[in-house]
Amino acid sequence: MYEFTYHRPATVDEAIALLKSADDGKLLAGGHTLLPTMKQRLASPSDLIDLGGALATGIDVSNGCVTIGAGTCHADVATSSDVANAIPALAKLASMIGDPHVRNKGTIGGSIANNDPAADYPAACLGLGATIVTSAREIEADDFFTGMFDTALGDDEVITSVRFPVPAKAGYSKFPNPASRYAMVGVFVSSAKGGIRVAVTGAGPCVFRQGDMEAALEGDFASSAIAGVTQADGDLNSDIHASAEYRAHLVGVMARRAVDQATG
Amino acid sequence: MTDTGIGARVRRKEDKRFITGHGNYTDDINLARQTYAYFLRSPHAHATINSIDTAEAAKAPGVLGIFTGDDLAADSIGGLICGWLIHSKDGSPMNAGGHPALAQGKVRYVGNEVAVIVAETHAQAKSAAELVDVDYSVHDAAVDTGSAQASGAPQVHEEAPNNTVYEFGLGDEAATNAAFEGAAHVTELDIVNNRLIPNAMEPRAAIGAFDQGTDAYTLYTTSQNPHVARLVLSAFIGVAPEHKLRVVAPDVGGGFGSKIFIYAEETVCVWASKKIGRPIKWVAERSESFQCDAHGRDHVTNAKMALDKDGTMLGLRVKTIANMGAYLSTFSSAVPTYLYTTLLSGQYNIPAIYAEVDAVFTNTAPVDAYRGAGRPEACYVIERIVETAAREMGLDPADLRRKNFVTEFPHVTPVIMTYDAGDYHASIDKACEMIDYSGFGKRKAASEAAGKLRGLGFSAYIEACGIAPSAAVGSLGAGVGLWESAEVRVNPTGNVEVLTGSHSHGQGHETTFAQLVSDKLGIPVDQVEIVHGDTDKVQFGMGTYGSRSGAVGMSAVYQACDKVVAKAQKVAAHVMEAAEGDIEFKDGSFSVAGTDKSMAFGEVALTAYVAHNIPEGMEPGLKEGAFFDPSNFTFPAGCHICEVEVDPDTGVTQVVDWVAVDDFGTVINPMIVEGQVHGGIAQGVGQALTEGAVYDTESGQLLTGSYMDYCMPRAVDLPELRLAFTETTCPSNPLGIKGCGEAGAIAAPAALMNAVTDALGVADMPMPASPQNVWAALQGAKQAAE
Amino acid sequence: MKMNGSYDLNAAREDVWAALNDPDVLKQCIPGCESIEKLSDTEFEAVAVAKVGPVKAKFKGKVELSDLDPPNGYTISGEGQGGAAGFAKGGAKVALEETAPGLTRLTYDVDATVGGKLAQIGQRLVDGAAKKMSDQFFKNFAQAVGGEADNGAGEAEAAPQAPAQTPPHPLGENQKIVKQLSYLGVAAMVALVVWMFFNGGP
Repeated sequence: MYEFTYHRPATVDEAIALLKSADDGKLLAGGHTLLPTMKQRLASPSDLIDLGGALATGIDVSNGCVTIGAGTCHADVATSSDVANAIPALAKLASMIGDPHVRNKGTIGGSIANNDPAADYPAACLGLGATIVTSAREIEADDFFTGMFDTALGDDEVITSVRFPVPAKAGYSKFPNPASRYAMVGVFVSSAKGGIRVAVTGAGPCVFRQGDMEAALEGDFASSAIAGVTQADGDLNSDIHASAEYRAHLVGVMARRAVDQATG
Repeated sequence: MTDTGIGARVRRKEDKRFITGHGNYTDDINLARQTYAYFLRSPHAHATINSIDTAEAAKAPGVLGIFTGDDLAADSIGGLICGWLIHSKDGSPMNAGGHPALAQGKVRYVGNEVAVIVAETHAQAKSAAELVDVDYSVHDAAVDTGSAQASGAPQVHEEAPNNTVYEFGLGDEAATNAAFEGAAHVTELDIVNNRLIPNAMEPRAAIGAFDQGTDAYTLYTTSQNPHVARLVLSAFIGVAPEHKLRVVAPDVGGGFGSKIFIYAEETVCVWASKKIGRPIKWVAERSESFQCDAHGRDHVTNAKMALDKDGTMLGLRVKTIANMGAYLSTFSSAVPTYLYTTLLSGQYNIPAIYAEVDAVFTNTAPVDAYRGAGRPEACYVIERIVETAAREMGLDPADLRRKNFVTEFPHVTPVIMTYDAGDYHASIDKACEMIDYSGFGKRKAASEAAGKLRGLGFSAYIEACGIAPSAAVGSLGAGVGLWESAEVRVNPTGNVEVLTGSHSHGQGHETTFAQLVSDKLGIPVDQVEIVHGDTDKVQFGMGTYGSRSGAVGMSAVYQACDKVVAKAQKVAAHVMEAAEGDIEFKDGSFSVAGTDKSMAFGEVALTAYVAHNIPEGMEPGLKEGAFFDPSNFTFPAGCHICEVEVDPDTGVTQVVDWVAVDDFGTVINPMIVEGQVHGGIAQGVGQALTEGAVYDTESGQLLTGSYMDYCMPRAVDLPELRLAFTETTCPSNPLGIKGCGEAGAIAAPAALMNAVTDALGVADMPMPASPQNVWAALQGAKQAAE
Repeated sequence: MKMNGSYDLNAAREDVWAALNDPDVLKQCIPGCESIEKLSDTEFEAVAVAKVGPVKAKFKGKVELSDLDPPNGYTISGEGQGGAAGFAKGGAKVALEETAPGLTRLTYDVDATVGGKLAQIGQRLVDGAAKKMSDQFFKNFAQAVGGEADNGAGEAEAAPQAPAQTPPHPLGENQKIVKQLSYLGVAAMVALVVWMFFNGGP
């Protein structure tokens, strides 16, 4: 790890001011991606701005929405009875992220801002049609995840909370990478007033919606409805653990299991 | 016998300090004025070093010295050695190639040590390393085991044409050919034994310290055999004379073979400590462990078995290419030869066997012994081919095995082993009973009804442990003798220190060795202290590997205890004014037969030390040493059966049941032995289900260089393991011990892959049975059926 | 690793060829490029800051052109050093074909290696990151050459980020990335530095 200046601002505004004034600042919101990267000397920010004291934490369920403060760690979401009652699939997803260390340190805001192609939370955001609330505006999940590690966030914009509309039904099925436990393929499905959503993480360079499956589920929200829907493998990831072809196959299997879970 | 003696489930004495964070590992040791080393490593698999410019790095903050291969050469420091000379079939000695501790002229794998930077802090050394400018001419790399010998393949060492280290052969080729002629059935398998990375919990570490006052060096290091490290560093590498070098291997957090070897890093730290004039510490980062700890396995094999029509085995022919990596590590040459081919007879009476092994250099990390070392590879070949033969011939795999078991001992195999004792029927019968073999059909049907594919696999393994006697291993090319030593020091107050040449790095010697002494001398285990791992304290010893500490190391303790008792008996007889023949020693007490006269062990010890009243001419004190050199290897054997369920939708394999019936001879502490079996099976399941080192076949870059990609087995990968023991005692050591440390890792891969291939209905598939590989095998089977 | 693909550009072959040899054009197309210097007619030196997710590292690379056959194509080879991050090296054969007046198909065939820390810990992200980088490069390059053809030289740098205003034509959309345009693609030809940027995160 190279040397850096550590800051722990008390407010988001202060954090943004620090970020603007830093030569090459980075925000820290849990750090389970950034700190190992720094230890590997693959990143050397001049300033590390720890949001631990600035971000809101906590979960609020009201007006048909689950709103989670950006500083809330995965373990709190996983064990929240409010989340379990409103959107059980979201609590389950949080319980499957990483390991106990990651779940107790990593935050929902950090995970979403990082937008790792194999992270779990982006699937929940896209699969539920969440709204990402930032220091400057509100961004719909459909517009937020723009590419591999890319989001619609501006340079000096900080996520403050995430608002998930409560669906009628939802399910998340994840096939973890055998080694890292990141999602090799994870599929989040939901059925709500606004329609059907099928979001796929881990399979491609960025979380994406599976339109064919959504269409098939529109009239019949049952796993049998998507039994014949195949995922094209052309743009999927390929690595030593899973070829694109295998990932495409798993998208189908995980989607059916997620629907079964939602309807079961 | 005490209640802490042989056979007792004594809780491990060492665990208190490990569990409470009071262990003393190499990195826990900090010496005054200590400095830190960082090794600059080659990012290329194969390159010529044109120049190394250290000028900028030398000016970096905190830097105390930077050394390269030229500096080692200038000091006449020799290269790392391979201690076992193997000869090819034509009688020629192996083509070793040099192995300088810091590269000289060429780098041969990613991670090869190029320079060492010594600085005030580790971070400073690491930052300075980024400023060292190495100019490389990069060459094509030889990576793949099977094609390393192909014409036109990049050459790793000039000394080894076609990358061939040796072409070894064992057995009777003509007799084997004859056995295949006219055989009713021949089963043939092409199998790969996947390459593994050891992953000890504690990474390797070293502190080299030179004392100007005494002109002597001390090396603290993560070693399984500190005396051998000292011998090699002094006699072969030439760092210091043996009596001016102390090697200490304190608490060591796992080795699995990877800490037997003498590596570049400790060599350089101890040598450079004199040049810097201060102690130098190096602790491997996990990334370095992945790249540079000697890897294991990596065989490509073609095997053929000839059988007659009723399933009687007639002959076995095996051709293996064994990857040695870029350099010959300390014991590497012996692994695919005398630790592999000699076990190819398995538990079976096979009249003719011929095995050929070509060892090859590649531009990958060195490969050497890893838990089981050659024997897992042999077990995998024989147990996979027997299972396959049974399937091809429509025979029950248990019956085919039973039909061919060796039943008379001693049994001389065609591959030079003399099996001394065993009862293979007993272990397979017990294992079949435990798993309810006859009920498998029902369980398979139930799995199918739930959409799962169920399979069952056997592994009737045998291994050779102890690695002895010295004369025998010497005749096969070993550079050292493989005995063990012990010293039993009885203190005047009657408690005991045992100095052993064995080394504990997870095995629980502090408990089991103490149990033996407790049993022999009739004192509680907490009165016994086991001292190991320090060449200044312990007489010479050979260390721990090959499941040898019980059979060989404890036997030396046994003999030393006998000598202690013999002397104490003389003292007791003298004090109690009785004939020595009338003295009985039982439960820690010397008594005169037929009288109520007795002396406690402690009293006798005090008498021996006070020496006011001991037999005339007897030396005072009570301390005895022994060297034990067994008469043969030991032959642990047993039968493992496992059942798996495969999810055909995803390719996920779940191990749902596992029974292991092992014959380890005498068991000192069943709890510790069970722990060894558990760990061994977990490691074997790791090889077969999750693990595997992957290099980019063109560039030679290690793609499984972190836990992101190298998949260790987890608790959820294992079912509740069900164990049982059968016992035939080993005749070649006084305790009847056979050894248990490697059995699980030897047996498990074949059992698991036999079960997976059974479930999938395929002849073979590559290890590991990862979801992707299983899914691919299922797709292949589907296509073949269409 | 080997990869190949092709790309249809809305520009005349001569213009594409000129752009491929113009350090200024290359600089604006390579994501994160800080400088690119022409050492000779066939040698370039580039510095680029790679940023993928949490990874941010500076790479220096040298690139050499050979088998020059204007305007039909060339072979480009090079090596980039990223300090602690590792290195990338390789080469690409690039061919330009006039498919219609004012339309050029660029075909590439890459053989490249990534090494060091990048290879050791970033295996899962190599493909994705490389593709992302090459996508960015092509997007920029297509705009650069399209802009030249439509608006004249000097406008390229000001080209908007929105999709280029070019009409569809029989060979596909101007910016369509042909399947298998994975990895560095022709980004390698410009500076292999582009290709080695990927996350090595946990």
